[in-house]
Amino acid sequence: MKLSSLELAMLDGAHGRAAQWAIEYQQRVGEFFDAADFVPVRLVHISTDRETIGDSGLRFIEELAEMPPAERKPRASAFADFRGFDEEAFRFLLPGRDLAGESEQAVTALGRLGIAASHAYVNDHSVTAPAFGEACGYSGTPSVIYMNSFVGARCNFEAGPSTLAAFFTGRVPRYGFHLNQARRATHAIRLDFTPKHVAEWGAVGAIIGRKLNSYWSVPAIEVAAARPAVLSLNHMALNLASYGSIAMCHVIGVTPEAPDWQSVTAGQRIGTLDTITRKDVRDFLDSWGGVGEAVDVVALSTPQLGIVEIGEVAELLAGRKVHPDTTLLVYAPREVKQAAAAIGYAKAIADAGGLLVHGHDFFATFAKEIRESHGWQRLMTHSVKVANICEGYGYKPTPASIRRCIDSAVAGKVLP
Amino acid sequence: MSGPDAGVAIRGHVGIGPAVRGIALVAADDFSTRYDLDRDRGVFSRPSHKLFGESYVGRILVLNAAKGGVASAWMLRDMVTMEKAPLALLLNDANPVMAQGAAFANLPLMDRFEGDITQAVRTGDLLYVDPAGGVVTIERRNGIDG
Repeated sequence: MKLSSLELAMLDGAHGRAAQWAIEYQQRVGEFFDAADFVPVRLVHISTDRETIGDSGLRFIEELAEMPPAERKPRASAFADFRGFDEEAFRFLLPGRDLAGESEQAVTALGRLGIAASHAYVNDHSVTAPAFGEACGYSGTPSVIYMNSFVGARCNFEAGPSTLAAFFTGRVPRYGFHLNQARRATHAIRLDFTPKHVAEWGAVGAIIGRKLNSYWSVPAIEVAAARPAVLSLNHMALNLASYGSIAMCHVIGVTPEAPDWQSVTAGQRIGTLDTITRKDVRDFLDSWGGVGEAVDVVALSTPQLGIVEIGEVAELLAGRKVHPDTTLLVYAPREVKQAAAAIGYAKAIADAGGLLVHGHDFFATFAKEIRESHGWQRLMTHSVKVANICEGYGYKPTPASIRRCIDSAVAGKVLP
Repeated sequence: MSGPDAGVAIRGHVGIGPAVRGIALVAADDFSTRYDLDRDRGVFSRPSHKLFGESYVGRILVLNAAKGGVASAWMLRDMVTMEKAPLALLLNDANPVMAQGAAFANLPLMDRFEGDITQAVRTGDLLYVDPAGGVVTIERRNGIDG
């Protein structure tokens, strides 16, 4: 990689030990992907949830924080999507473990470094906002694909350590989606129907992700709907990332770099147009099974629910009770939970026997340990990504619409 | 059985981490530390994964593509610290998360081989992985060479 005089000085340690570690680390990653040089970034989003970073990650962050300030000067503005734990909820979910205390250690260390902790889910449009075409260093895969696809900012998957490095160097290696040629569509997809709910949009993302299965694939998707809701597109995109490691997509006539087919292909042939049908989506959702079986837990999470969805849940639960053998978990950012309390949704959910949980997502807050603690198996969720991850944690997931999840929670079994 | 003979070198892109020698664990399946592993026990925990139930600790893990979210970047280092890590990772296609994780953990990683690495190597083969040189050498075939 070609290094500027400033980057060489960082490498020599002239700008502190943190920057020296960071630029050397970034150089190794950049050379792995044949990056020609670095690109400056203004905004950095760091994934540091407590389960993911582990004890070694926490120690690493604390060691950086313990350096004298002159040794750890930042060169970018950073937010951590560390969302902590809902202490009250986790006394039930994972008794005997002080997750709130553990999370506070990381929040404290991040704060000492000058990194703001947010409690929102995807810090894509609620906390920081890069501009169209701006290079940025975002960490969560849903955030990255959102930035590349729907904002038109430029980013690779910059996972936790690499965004921590970008915080100290103010730059990231220039490869992948920082380059024009990588942003062109590689595959053409057409939806011949309009998905009815976010689980179906998630299934669309999962089907495409499984089929393409490469970080370097960029699907261009033609949708039947005039303009899908952002939340729908978000569910599709985060499942492209979850099932296929895909970091960018185009939606023709919707996303900023895709006004038409000519724009996304730059005039090059990208093969036959594949069609995804409603049957494909139904087959995918049905393939998880579970109809008629007792449902142990319903987790509405990933992304955390917004206030509109919380209102939908409250309305669906009105005058009903969650089955005594089923646990209903509804995840929301802390700010949304507060709003839900003020509006009355929180009480409606609690009166029905549901648990409104603030903090990080279900899957990223020791879901395996929670399953073991409660002996749970059958899980229902409106998030196809939660189904994907939690299968590996020993759950038997059934993804479905929010309505079907709630109806099943009340019935105590997976309804068709 | 098919694949290159013992002693054959397989070229890939220059990788990350130190050179190592060890026994391969192979499947034509994808890989994520969060989605596929029970990291406490050091085994594959995803029922639909071809290596379900297999211990990966200390093995040279040979799989198709990196998948899933950002977790692997932190988790690989934690797995190394907990002595619950593979010895090296050989993938047909790594993504940035896996490369960043390998660099953070100083765990050997190579990808972009001249052919499908999951077909060229068999479980039980003794491999020498040289990321700096971009070469994997099959030093002994499982059950064939002494």
